[in-house]
Amino acid sequence: MTSGINMLCFTGCYAIALALEALGLWKRPPGRRLATVAAMLIGMVAHTWYLADRAGQAPWAPLASQHDWCLAAAWTLSLVYLGFVLYYPRASSGLFLLPVVLGLIAAARWSSREPIATFQAPRVWGQLHGVFLMLGAVAVLVGFVAGLMYLVQSHWLKHKRPIGERLRLPSLEWLERINGRSLAGATILIAMGFVTGVLTHLAQRDGEFRWSDPVVLSLSGMLSWLVAAECFRLAYPAARRGRKVAYLTLAGFVFLLITLSAFMRDGAAHGAPRTKAKAAGGAPKASAIAAAGGAPRTGGPP
Amino acid sequence: MNLLMVGCNHRAAGVDIRQQLAFGAQQTSDALQRWRARFADTELALLSTCNRVELYAVGAAPDAAPQPDELVDAMLSYHGLPARRMEGRLVSLAQRDAVLHLFRVAASLDSMVVGEPQILSQVKEAYQRAVESGSAGPGLHELFQAAMRAARRVHNETRLHRHRVSIPSVAIADFATRVFERFDDKRVLLIGAGEMAEETLRYLKDAGARRIRVVNRSWDRAAALAEAWGGAAAPWEELWEELAAADLVIGAASVQQPLVTAAEFQQVVARKRQQRPLFVLDLAAPRNFDADVGEQLGVYLYSLDDLAHACERNRAARAAELPSAEKIVLAETDAFMAAAHHRLAGPVITGLRRNLEEPKRAELERLFRRLPQLDQRARGEIELFADRLVNKLLHPPMESLRDASQEGPPHGLLDALRRLFRLED
Repeated sequence: MTSGINMLCFTGCYAIALALEALGLWKRPPGRRLATVAAMLIGMVAHTWYLADRAGQAPWAPLASQHDWCLAAAWTLSLVYLGFVLYYPRASSGLFLLPVVLGLIAAARWSSREPIATFQAPRVWGQLHGVFLMLGAVAVLVGFVAGLMYLVQSHWLKHKRPIGERLRLPSLEWLERINGRSLAGATILIAMGFVTGVLTHLAQRDGEFRWSDPVVLSLSGMLSWLVAAECFRLAYPAARRGRKVAYLTLAGFVFLLITLSAFMRDGAAHGAPRTKAKAAGGAPKASAIAAAGGAPRTGGPP
Repeated sequence: MNLLMVGCNHRAAGVDIRQQLAFGAQQTSDALQRWRARFADTELALLSTCNRVELYAVGAAPDAAPQPDELVDAMLSYHGLPARRMEGRLVSLAQRDAVLHLFRVAASLDSMVVGEPQILSQVKEAYQRAVESGSAGPGLHELFQAAMRAARRVHNETRLHRHRVSIPSVAIADFATRVFERFDDKRVLLIGAGEMAEETLRYLKDAGARRIRVVNRSWDRAAALAEAWGGAAAPWEELWEELAAADLVIGAASVQQPLVTAAEFQQVVARKRQQRPLFVLDLAAPRNFDADVGEQLGVYLYSLDDLAHACERNRAARAAELPSAEKIVLAETDAFMAAAHHRLAGPVITGLRRNLEEPKRAELERLFRRLPQLDQRARGEIELFADRLVNKLLHPPMESLRDASQEGPPHGLLDALRRLFRLED
């Protein structure tokens, strides 16, 4: 990178923050919390710089490739973690959230940096599609982490485990609220992402929409699950509370994993017209883009 | 500095004796003003709490402070108590022992419940009252400031205060706050009555609880309790409806069999609650809630045994912190005593410096008269040389005084310096 900032910079900072959170399980030296926040802030500055650099080099970034999409999701989740730290300074939420952030960065490391075919469509629809799905995925991940913390806290309380000096979690009431809001937010965002995705494809020159696209299929599955879960939650009051809502968000995470796997495997061809995708031999990446109309778009109307 | 403490505490005297000797806020101010007239050269502060009544006296010189018997007499005569009634019940400490005692008191190491937080504010209040009564001076100021510093260090550097040890405080701070984020919108139901239940209600009120319902077999008792706690009473027959509506329940009814069995809860309450979290503190013995109620979804049930177990664990955790806390208090006591001893050397150090400064000035004047050709820069260098020489000459005796102050009042060394340098003159 021209700025000298690479993925190692912010990955290292987040790893240090996670190590400091883990250190709190054994020892809580003075300044540990401050050092954790400092490491996160430095990491986020480097992360922002890296994303801005990517956007400068490839105008279709920051959400047009699998690599950029994963990094943008990791960045948003890091921001959520800082929010958790501010709201619940004594809780060890980093132990649950930061591994997910690092997981997304690891996924970014091994994923394609080539633009997804969808982003050859009108830029605004493509960007909206990417942003909604990214935020929806982050909402599912936040719900998953909150659900996990809920189940751990609930288990401890049921077993009369006294308050821990080393590992503290937010209250069940707060986690339940986060769970419910994440689920509702994820449903709306994923639905909007899906609709903008359809519109993106329709706006392309050949305008053919492929339901057999693995990413579309898995995303449809996840959206169906989220809508069903949300309806269940609205219709059945017990599903809005306690462990049930936590289980719903955990299931949402499983659907997200399936969608992400499809996205990682077939994402580069995602949205490419049927004939062009076939011409690219099922592993289109850069070649698919060339086949779909030359160099990636640099923004502006088609 | 001459430092004394006389008084009684929970270790040496029973509650009846402590009550007789206790001073209210107004009495404390009144007594301090009265004693100020009697002991004109002595600074006085009175610490009166449920567990102790202690009078601290600081005199600037060894012969300035009154004798312990005089202080005891002052305290007893204020209440008109005969000295023989207090025989063997009063404690008297002097100098380092008195300092160490106050530091341990302020850090809550001498409390009946070690680590309880109220004592530090009571110590601050005692000092404040002494200031307002005009009985405090620089000696007491330094003593109490050092005591508060020691207490703050114990608070910040150990986890002594973080482990709660009373059942109501553990129930609310260690368990209820992990279920609920806030209490002002929660419905609290008290079943029956009892000292511990009321203490728990007090903690809940402090945490913000506003919606309190009381159910008791005796309507009058329920109404009285509800009025006392700013809540509402409900008839005993509405217990099940109240249980269905409550978020937090305190069970304190006197019963032979559990009031609520798991089957009844499942049939009557659970359906209405729709798995809304319910936090139950069963503070009654025998229990009000069958243990199986805790197995229901969304129900978090804690019995007296569960809470007592958590308290015991917290007590053990506090005990583990005690050595570190005692170490801090000892270090602060040593530092305070060394500083107090070092202050004794103040006049000698001033005399020593004066004895060297005067000849230095005289010699410099003589030299500058004999060498008028010296420019400003050369004069400045010579003055600097003379200052550095004086400081270097003073350094060894100062260090010796500082070292000797660590051991105790350096009277021998001070006498030697006075004689060697003719400081009396």
